[in-house]
Amino acid sequence: MSQDLEKVLTQKLSEESIAGEIFNLEPLTGGASKEIWKFELKTKAQTEKYILRRGSGIEGPLAIKTSDEAKIQKIVKSLGASVPEIVSVSSLEEPLGDAYIMKFVEGESIARKILRDDEYKNALKNLAFECGESIAKIHQADISEFPFLPRKAVSDQINDLYNTYVSFNQHSPVFEYTYLWLKEQSFGEINDSLVHGDFRLGNIIVSQMGLESIIDWELAHIGNPLQDLGWICGNSWRFGNTDKVVGGFGNIEDLLDGYNSISEYKVDTKTVRAWQVFGTFRWGVICLIQASAHLTGSVNSVEKAAIGRRVSETEIDIVDLLFLGGK
Amino acid sequence: MIFDRPSSVELLKAVSFFLDEKIKKEVPPHLAFKLRIVENVLKIVCREIEQGDALSEEVINDLKKLINSDIASLEDLANLIKEQKIDLEDQDLQNILVKLSKNKIAVDNPNYSTYKKLLD
Repeated sequence: MSQDLEKVLTQKLSEESIAGEIFNLEPLTGGASKEIWKFELKTKAQTEKYILRRGSGIEGPLAIKTSDEAKIQKIVKSLGASVPEIVSVSSLEEPLGDAYIMKFVEGESIARKILRDDEYKNALKNLAFECGESIAKIHQADISEFPFLPRKAVSDQINDLYNTYVSFNQHSPVFEYTYLWLKEQSFGEINDSLVHGDFRLGNIIVSQMGLESIIDWELAHIGNPLQDLGWICGNSWRFGNTDKVVGGFGNIEDLLDGYNSISEYKVDTKTVRAWQVFGTFRWGVICLIQASAHLTGSVNSVEKAAIGRRVSETEIDIVDLLFLGGK
Repeated sequence: MIFDRPSSVELLKAVSFFLDEKIKKEVPPHLAFKLRIVENVLKIVCREIEQGDALSEEVINDLKKLINSDIASLEDLANLIKEQKIDLEDQDLQNILVKLSKNKIAVDNPNYSTYKKLLD
Protein backbone atom coordinates (compact mmCIF):
# COMPACT_ATOMS: atom_id res chain seq x y z
CA MET A 1 0.00 0.00 0.00
CA SER A 2 2.74 2.45 0.90
CA GLN A 3 4.49 1.79 -2.42
CA ASP A 4 1.39 2.84 -4.32
CA LEU A 5 1.10 5.83 -2.06
CA GLU A 6 4.73 6.75 -2.72
CA LYS A 7 4.00 6.75 -6.43
CA VAL A 8 0.97 9.03 -6.26
CA LEU A 9 2.72 11.31 -3.79
CA THR A 10 5.73 11.69 -6.08
CA GLN A 11 3.40 12.42 -8.97
CA LYS A 12 1.41 15.00 -7.01
CA LEU A 13 4.54 16.77 -5.76
CA SER A 14 6.02 16.91 -9.24
CA GLU A 15 2.86 18.72 -10.38
CA GLU A 16 3.81 21.36 -7.81
CA SER A 17 7.31 21.45 -9.33
CA ILE A 18 8.74 19.66 -6.31
CA ALA A 19 10.76 16.84 -7.83
CA GLY A 20 12.52 14.36 -5.63
CA GLU A 21 12.68 10.94 -4.14
CA ILE A 22 10.39 9.95 -1.28
CA PHE A 23 11.67 7.85 1.56
CA ASN A 24 10.82 6.92 5.15
CA LEU A 25 7.10 7.06 4.40
CA GLU A 26 5.37 5.98 7.59
CA PRO A 27 1.90 6.24 9.12
CA LEU A 28 1.54 8.36 12.26
CA THR A 29 -0.90 7.97 15.08
CA GLY A 30 -3.50 10.48 14.12
CA GLY A 31 -7.09 11.31 14.79
CA ALA A 32 -9.68 8.58 14.60
CA SER A 33 -10.95 9.74 11.23
CA LYS A 34 -7.94 10.75 9.15
CA GLU A 35 -4.83 9.08 7.80
CA ILE A 36 -1.61 10.90 8.60
CA TRP A 37 1.70 9.98 6.95
CA LYS A 38 5.14 11.37 7.49
CA PHE A 39 7.78 11.22 4.79
CA GLU A 40 11.03 12.75 3.65
CA LEU A 41 11.71 14.10 0.22
CA LYS A 42 15.20 14.20 -1.16
CA THR A 43 15.61 16.82 -3.85
CA LYS A 44 18.76 18.01 -5.59
CA ALA A 45 19.15 20.81 -3.09
CA GLN A 46 18.13 19.24 0.22
CA THR A 47 16.10 16.71 2.19
CA GLU A 48 12.91 17.98 3.78
CA LYS A 49 10.23 16.39 5.96
CA TYR A 50 6.57 16.53 5.02
CA ILE A 51 3.21 15.40 6.33
CA LEU A 52 0.37 13.99 4.25
CA ARG A 53 -3.10 14.29 5.69
CA ARG A 54 -5.80 12.35 3.92
CA GLY A 55 -9.50 11.86 4.57
CA SER A 56 -12.29 9.83 3.06
CA GLY A 57 -13.56 12.80 1.05
CA ILE A 58 -16.94 12.47 2.69
CA GLU A 59 -18.16 15.36 4.77
CA GLY A 60 -19.27 13.92 8.10
CA PRO A 61 -22.02 15.27 10.33
CA LEU A 62 -19.43 17.69 11.72
CA ALA A 63 -16.23 17.39 9.70
CA ILE A 64 -15.37 19.33 6.56
CA LYS A 65 -13.42 18.03 3.56
CA THR A 66 -9.71 17.57 4.11
CA SER A 67 -8.85 19.74 1.12
CA ASP A 68 -10.94 22.55 2.66
CA GLU A 69 -8.82 22.35 5.81
CA ALA A 70 -5.83 23.26 3.65
CA LYS A 71 -7.65 26.26 2.18
CA ILE A 72 -8.35 27.61 5.68
CA GLN A 73 -4.75 27.18 6.77
CA LYS A 74 -3.49 29.12 3.78
CA ILE A 75 -5.78 32.03 4.66
CA VAL A 76 -5.08 32.14 8.41
CA LYS A 77 -1.35 31.90 7.79
CA SER A 78 -1.54 35.20 5.98
CA LEU A 79 -3.06 36.70 9.18
CA GLY A 80 -0.08 35.64 11.24
CA ALA A 81 -1.59 32.55 12.83
CA SER A 82 0.90 29.71 13.27
CA VAL A 83 -0.05 26.92 10.90
CA PRO A 84 2.03 24.52 8.81
CA GLU A 85 2.91 25.61 5.29
CA ILE A 86 0.72 23.84 2.77
CA VAL A 87 2.63 22.69 -0.31
CA SER A 88 -0.07 20.83 -2.20
CA VAL A 89 -3.80 20.19 -2.08
CA SER A 90 -5.53 17.23 -3.71
CA SER A 91 -9.24 16.86 -4.39
CA LEU A 92 -11.18 13.62 -4.05
CA GLU A 93 -11.10 12.97 -7.83
CA GLU A 94 -7.31 12.93 -7.96
CA PRO A 95 -5.28 9.74 -7.36
CA LEU A 96 -4.18 10.97 -3.93
CA GLY A 97 -7.81 11.57 -2.91
CA ASP A 98 -9.11 14.23 -0.52
CA ALA A 99 -5.80 15.27 1.00
CA TYR A 100 -3.07 17.81 1.41
CA ILE A 101 0.67 17.86 1.92
CA MET A 102 2.30 20.24 4.37
CA LYS A 103 5.76 20.91 5.66
CA PHE A 104 6.62 18.98 8.81
CA VAL A 105 6.73 21.13 11.95
CA GLU A 106 9.24 20.10 14.60
CA GLY A 107 7.66 19.63 18.01
CA GLU A 108 5.19 17.44 19.79
CA SER A 109 1.45 17.02 19.38
CA ILE A 110 0.79 14.16 21.78
CA ALA A 111 -0.94 15.76 24.76
CA ARG A 112 0.33 13.45 27.47
CA LYS A 113 3.95 13.91 26.39
CA ILE A 114 3.62 17.69 26.36
CA LEU A 115 2.10 17.65 29.84
CA ARG A 116 4.52 15.08 31.26
CA ASP A 117 7.97 15.56 29.72
CA ASP A 118 10.42 17.95 31.38
CA GLU A 119 11.46 19.51 28.09
CA TYR A 120 8.09 21.25 27.73
CA LYS A 121 7.92 22.51 31.30
CA ASN A 122 8.96 26.04 30.41
CA ALA A 123 6.77 26.18 27.32
CA LEU A 124 3.72 25.24 29.39
CA LYS A 125 4.06 28.33 31.59
CA ASN A 126 3.09 30.67 28.79
CA LEU A 127 1.02 28.27 26.71
CA ALA A 128 -2.43 29.36 27.94
CA PHE A 129 -1.61 32.97 26.99
CA GLU A 130 -0.28 31.84 23.60
CA CYS A 131 -3.39 29.75 22.97
CA GLY A 132 -5.63 32.73 23.77
CA GLU A 133 -3.59 34.86 21.41
CA SER A 134 -3.73 32.29 18.59
CA ILE A 135 -7.44 31.71 19.02
CA ALA A 136 -8.03 35.48 18.78
CA LYS A 137 -5.96 35.66 15.57
CA ILE A 138 -8.06 32.91 14.01
CA HIS A 139 -11.20 34.81 14.98
CA GLN A 140 -9.98 37.91 13.15
CA ALA A 141 -10.18 36.26 9.73
CA ASP A 142 -12.62 37.80 7.26
CA ILE A 143 -15.48 35.29 7.10
CA SER A 144 -16.28 36.18 3.50
CA GLU A 145 -13.13 34.25 2.56
CA PHE A 146 -14.71 30.98 3.67
CA PRO A 147 -17.81 30.48 1.49
CA PHE A 148 -17.21 26.71 1.64
CA LEU A 149 -17.60 26.53 5.43
CA PRO A 150 -20.92 25.80 7.11
CA ARG A 151 -22.43 28.54 9.26
CA LYS A 152 -23.52 27.18 12.62
CA ALA A 153 -25.54 29.24 15.08
CA VAL A 154 -25.25 27.91 18.62
CA SER A 155 -28.98 27.20 18.87
CA ASP A 156 -28.78 25.14 15.67
CA GLN A 157 -25.71 23.31 16.95
CA ILE A 158 -27.47 22.45 20.22
CA ASN A 159 -30.48 21.12 18.32
CA ASP A 160 -28.33 19.22 15.83
CA LEU A 161 -26.31 17.59 18.59
CA TYR A 162 -29.45 16.68 20.47
CA ASN A 163 -31.14 15.24 17.39
CA THR A 164 -28.01 13.25 16.59
CA TYR A 165 -28.03 11.83 20.12
CA VAL A 166 -31.74 10.97 19.79
CA SER A 167 -31.15 9.24 16.45
CA PHE A 168 -28.92 6.63 18.14
CA ASN A 169 -31.80 5.60 20.40
CA GLN A 170 -29.53 5.20 23.40
CA HIS A 171 -31.08 6.95 26.38
CA SER A 172 -28.92 9.35 28.33
CA PRO A 173 -30.80 11.12 31.12
CA VAL A 174 -27.76 13.38 31.57
CA PHE A 175 -27.86 14.48 27.93
CA GLU A 176 -31.61 15.12 28.16
CA TYR A 177 -30.93 17.36 31.15
CA THR A 178 -27.99 19.06 29.42
CA TYR A 179 -30.10 19.85 26.38
CA LEU A 180 -32.74 21.61 28.46
CA TRP A 181 -30.04 23.44 30.43
CA LEU A 182 -28.17 24.61 27.32
CA LYS A 183 -31.34 26.00 25.76
CA GLU A 184 -31.61 28.45 28.68
CA GLN A 185 -28.05 29.79 28.51
CA SER A 186 -26.54 32.92 27.08
CA PHE A 187 -23.52 32.28 24.87
CA GLY A 188 -22.34 35.88 24.48
CA GLU A 189 -23.26 38.61 21.98
CA ILE A 190 -20.44 38.68 19.48
CA ASN A 191 -20.09 38.76 15.71
CA ASP A 192 -19.73 35.43 13.92
CA SER A 193 -16.22 34.50 12.92
CA LEU A 194 -14.06 31.62 11.79
CA VAL A 195 -14.15 29.00 14.56
CA HIS A 196 -11.39 26.37 14.68
CA GLY A 197 -13.77 23.99 16.40
CA ASP A 198 -11.20 21.65 17.97
CA PHE A 199 -8.48 23.85 19.46
CA ARG A 200 -6.78 21.85 22.24
CA LEU A 201 -3.71 19.76 23.02
CA GLY A 202 -3.50 17.05 20.41
CA ASN A 203 -4.31 19.57 17.70
CA ILE A 204 -1.48 21.98 18.34
CA ILE A 205 2.25 21.39 17.97
CA VAL A 206 4.31 22.50 20.94
CA SER A 207 8.08 22.80 21.10
CA GLN A 208 10.33 23.79 23.98
CA MET A 209 9.76 27.37 22.84
CA GLY A 210 5.97 27.14 23.04
CA LEU A 211 3.11 26.97 20.55
CA GLU A 212 4.47 26.24 17.08
CA SER A 213 1.51 25.32 14.97
CA ILE A 214 -2.25 24.80 14.91
CA ILE A 215 -3.32 21.66 13.10
CA ASP A 216 -6.44 19.55 12.54
CA TRP A 217 -9.02 21.97 11.16
CA GLU A 218 -11.67 19.40 10.31
CA LEU A 219 -14.29 20.84 12.69
CA ALA A 220 -13.88 24.42 11.46
CA HIS A 221 -17.00 26.45 10.76
CA ILE A 222 -18.41 29.96 10.94
CA GLY A 223 -20.17 30.81 14.19
CA ASN A 224 -19.84 32.28 17.67
CA PRO A 225 -16.06 32.37 18.27
CA LEU A 226 -16.34 31.96 22.05
CA GLN A 227 -16.91 28.27 21.36
CA ASP A 228 -13.14 27.85 20.93
CA LEU A 229 -12.48 29.32 24.39
CA GLY A 230 -14.96 27.02 26.13
CA TRP A 231 -13.75 23.96 24.23
CA ILE A 232 -10.14 24.12 25.42
CA CYS A 233 -11.43 24.50 29.00
CA GLY A 234 -13.37 21.22 28.92
CA ASN A 235 -12.13 18.50 31.23
CA SER A 236 -12.06 16.11 28.25
CA TRP A 237 -8.97 18.00 27.06
CA ARG A 238 -7.11 18.26 30.38
CA PHE A 239 -5.73 14.72 30.04
CA GLY A 240 -5.93 13.98 33.73
CA ASN A 241 -4.65 17.38 34.96
CA THR A 242 -8.13 18.28 36.06
CA ASP A 243 -7.08 21.22 38.28
CA LYS A 244 -5.57 23.07 35.30
CA VAL A 245 -8.69 24.35 33.58
CA VAL A 246 -7.11 25.37 30.28
CA GLY A 247 -6.03 22.24 28.45
CA GLY A 248 -4.54 20.63 31.55
CA PHE A 249 -1.75 23.23 31.70
CA GLY A 250 -3.05 26.74 32.39
CA ASN A 251 -5.62 28.97 33.96
CA ILE A 252 -8.48 30.83 32.41
CA GLU A 253 -7.14 34.29 33.31
CA ASP A 254 -4.01 33.69 31.21
CA LEU A 255 -6.09 32.34 28.31
CA LEU A 256 -8.31 35.43 28.35
CA ASP A 257 -5.33 37.79 28.76
CA GLY A 258 -3.85 36.23 25.63
CA TYR A 259 -7.18 36.56 23.84
CA ASN A 260 -7.46 40.22 24.82
CA SER A 261 -3.91 40.96 23.67
CA ILE A 262 -5.40 40.66 20.16
CA SER A 263 -9.17 41.05 20.54
CA GLU A 264 -10.98 43.85 22.35
CA TYR A 265 -13.97 41.66 23.14
CA LYS A 266 -14.24 41.26 26.92
CA VAL A 267 -15.12 37.66 27.62
CA ASP A 268 -17.15 36.92 30.70
CA THR A 269 -16.16 33.69 32.51
CA LYS A 270 -19.80 32.67 33.01
CA THR A 271 -20.18 32.62 29.23
CA VAL A 272 -17.04 30.49 28.90
CA ARG A 273 -18.62 28.08 31.37
CA ALA A 274 -21.79 27.78 29.27
CA TRP A 275 -19.55 27.00 26.29
CA GLN A 276 -17.65 24.51 28.41
CA VAL A 277 -20.85 22.57 29.10
CA PHE A 278 -21.76 22.88 25.43
CA GLY A 279 -18.31 21.57 24.44
CA THR A 280 -18.53 18.64 26.80
CA PHE A 281 -21.95 17.73 25.40
CA ARG A 282 -20.58 18.14 21.88
CA TRP A 283 -17.65 15.82 22.60
CA GLY A 284 -20.09 13.31 24.09
CA VAL A 285 -22.17 13.33 20.91
CA ILE A 286 -19.02 13.06 18.76
CA CYS A 287 -18.15 9.93 20.77
CA LEU A 288 -21.62 8.57 19.97
CA ILE A 289 -21.13 9.34 16.27
CA GLN A 290 -17.74 7.61 16.20
CA ALA A 291 -19.08 4.54 17.99
CA SER A 292 -22.07 4.37 15.69
CA ALA A 293 -19.77 4.11 12.65
CA HIS A 294 -18.59 0.84 14.16
CA LEU A 295 -21.98 -0.31 15.43
CA THR A 296 -23.74 0.17 12.11
CA GLY A 297 -21.01 -1.81 10.39
CA SER A 298 -19.78 0.99 8.13
CA VAL A 299 -16.32 0.38 9.62
CA ASN A 300 -15.01 -2.31 11.92
CA SER A 301 -12.75 -0.52 14.34
CA VAL A 302 -11.96 -1.35 17.94
CA GLU A 303 -10.91 2.27 18.36
CA LYS A 304 -14.33 3.52 17.34
CA ALA A 305 -16.07 0.82 19.37
CA ALA A 306 -14.13 1.82 22.47
CA ILE A 307 -14.96 5.48 22.09
CA GLY A 308 -18.62 4.61 22.73
CA ARG A 309 -17.61 3.97 26.31
CA ARG A 310 -16.14 7.45 26.62
CA VAL A 311 -19.59 9.04 26.54
CA SER A 312 -19.75 8.43 30.28
CA GLU A 313 -16.67 10.65 30.74
CA THR A 314 -18.63 13.56 29.35
CA GLU A 315 -21.67 12.73 31.48
CA ILE A 316 -19.70 12.81 34.72
CA ASP A 317 -18.01 16.06 33.63
CA ILE A 318 -21.41 17.62 32.97
CA VAL A 319 -22.93 16.59 36.32
CA ASP A 320 -19.76 17.86 38.00
CA LEU A 321 -20.12 21.24 36.26
CA LEU A 322 -23.87 21.56 36.79
CA PHE A 323 -24.42 20.11 40.28
CA LEU A 324 -21.12 19.61 42.09
CA GLY A 325 -19.28 22.90 41.63
CA GLY A 326 -16.81 21.55 39.06
CA LYS A 327 -14.58 24.02 37.26
CA MET B 1 -23.29 -21.08 35.68
CA ILE B 2 -22.61 -24.46 34.09
CA PHE B 3 -19.21 -23.46 32.74
CA ASP B 4 -15.82 -24.54 33.97
CA ARG B 5 -13.07 -22.30 35.17
CA PRO B 6 -11.41 -20.16 33.98
CA SER B 7 -14.39 -17.85 34.38
CA SER B 8 -15.07 -15.24 31.72
CA VAL B 9 -13.14 -12.67 33.74
CA GLU B 10 -10.23 -15.05 34.26
CA LEU B 11 -10.10 -15.72 30.51
CA LEU B 12 -10.10 -12.03 29.71
CA LYS B 13 -7.36 -11.40 32.24
CA ALA B 14 -5.24 -14.14 30.66
CA VAL B 15 -5.63 -12.43 27.27
CA SER B 16 -4.72 -9.05 28.80
CA PHE B 17 -1.62 -10.54 30.35
CA PHE B 18 -0.57 -12.10 27.04
CA LEU B 19 -1.01 -8.81 25.17
CA ASP B 20 0.85 -6.86 27.80
CA GLU B 21 3.74 -9.26 28.29
CA LYS B 22 4.29 -10.71 24.83
CA ILE B 23 2.69 -8.55 22.16
CA LYS B 24 3.20 -4.98 23.34
CA LYS B 25 6.94 -4.93 22.73
CA GLU B 26 6.56 -6.43 19.26
CA VAL B 27 4.22 -3.92 17.67
CA PRO B 28 5.22 -0.71 15.83
CA PRO B 29 4.31 2.65 17.48
CA HIS B 30 1.13 3.32 15.50
CA LEU B 31 -0.23 -0.08 16.55
CA ALA B 32 0.97 0.28 20.15
CA PHE B 33 -1.58 3.06 20.51
CA LYS B 34 -4.36 0.75 19.27
CA LEU B 35 -3.13 -2.08 21.43
CA ARG B 36 -3.56 0.12 24.47
CA ILE B 37 -7.17 0.69 23.43
CA VAL B 38 -7.67 -3.06 23.03
CA GLU B 39 -6.30 -3.66 26.53
CA ASN B 40 -8.62 -1.00 27.92
CA VAL B 41 -11.59 -2.59 26.22
CA LEU B 42 -10.81 -5.92 27.89
CA LYS B 43 -10.67 -4.18 31.26
CA ILE B 44 -14.05 -2.53 30.69
CA VAL B 45 -15.59 -5.91 29.94
CA CYS B 46 -14.03 -7.42 33.09
CA ARG B 47 -15.37 -4.65 35.29
CA GLU B 48 -18.80 -4.84 33.73
CA ILE B 49 -19.00 -8.59 34.33
CA GLU B 50 -17.81 -8.18 37.92
CA GLN B 51 -19.66 -5.03 39.01
CA GLY B 52 -22.21 -4.21 36.32
CA ASP B 53 -25.29 -5.76 37.91
CA ALA B 54 -24.78 -4.16 41.31
CA LEU B 55 -23.98 -0.74 39.83
CA SER B 56 -27.07 -0.82 37.60
CA GLU B 57 -29.33 -2.03 40.37
CA GLU B 58 -28.28 0.79 42.67
CA VAL B 59 -29.37 3.40 40.13
CA ILE B 60 -32.58 1.64 39.16
CA ASN B 61 -33.59 1.31 42.84
CA ASP B 62 -33.19 5.03 43.39
CA LEU B 63 -35.16 5.66 40.26
CA LYS B 64 -37.99 3.37 41.37
CA LYS B 65 -38.28 5.45 44.54
CA LEU B 66 -38.21 8.70 42.60
CA ILE B 67 -41.03 7.72 40.28
CA ASN B 68 -42.79 5.57 42.87
CA SER B 69 -42.95 2.48 40.68
CA ASP B 70 -41.92 -1.20 40.82
CA ILE B 71 -40.23 -1.01 37.48
CA ALA B 72 -37.97 1.66 36.08
CA SER B 73 -35.45 2.06 33.27
CA LEU B 74 -33.04 4.67 31.98
CA GLU B 75 -35.60 5.38 29.28
CA ASP B 76 -38.14 6.31 31.98
CA LEU B 77 -35.68 8.71 33.55
CA ALA B 78 -34.76 10.21 30.18
CA ASN B 79 -38.44 10.74 29.37
CA LEU B 80 -39.18 12.21 32.77
CA ILE B 81 -36.62 14.91 32.09
CA LYS B 82 -37.44 15.36 28.42
CA GLU B 83 -41.15 15.85 29.11
CA GLN B 84 -40.26 18.03 32.10
CA LYS B 85 -42.49 16.02 34.41
CA ILE B 86 -40.06 16.78 37.17
CA ASP B 87 -38.54 20.02 38.41
CA LEU B 88 -35.01 20.22 37.04
CA GLU B 89 -33.87 21.64 40.38
CA ASP B 90 -35.23 18.58 42.25
CA GLN B 91 -32.44 17.36 44.52
CA ASP B 92 -33.36 13.67 44.20
CA LEU B 93 -33.27 13.95 40.42
CA GLN B 94 -29.87 15.60 40.48
CA ASN B 95 -28.60 12.96 42.93
CA ILE B 96 -29.71 10.17 40.61
CA LEU B 97 -27.95 11.80 37.66
CA VAL B 98 -24.77 12.02 39.73
CA LYS B 99 -25.01 8.41 40.88
CA LEU B 100 -25.80 7.20 37.37
CA SER B 101 -22.76 9.02 35.98
CA LYS B 102 -20.48 7.74 38.73
CA ASN B 103 -21.66 4.15 38.33
CA LYS B 104 -21.21 4.22 34.56
CA ILE B 105 -17.68 5.64 34.72
CA ALA B 106 -16.81 3.12 37.46
CA VAL B 107 -16.99 0.49 34.71
CA ASP B 108 -15.94 2.52 31.67
CA ASN B 109 -12.94 4.31 33.13
CA PRO B 110 -12.43 4.39 36.91
CA ASN B 111 -9.17 6.27 36.40
CA TYR B 112 -11.00 9.20 34.85
CA SER B 113 -9.92 12.43 36.56
CA THR B 114 -13.38 13.75 37.47
CA TYR B 115 -14.41 10.42 38.96
CA LYS B 116 -11.26 10.20 41.06
CA LYS B 117 -11.75 13.81 42.19
CA LEU B 118 -15.34 13.12 43.22
CA LEU B 119 -14.34 10.00 45.18
CA ASP B 120 -11.87 11.97 47.32
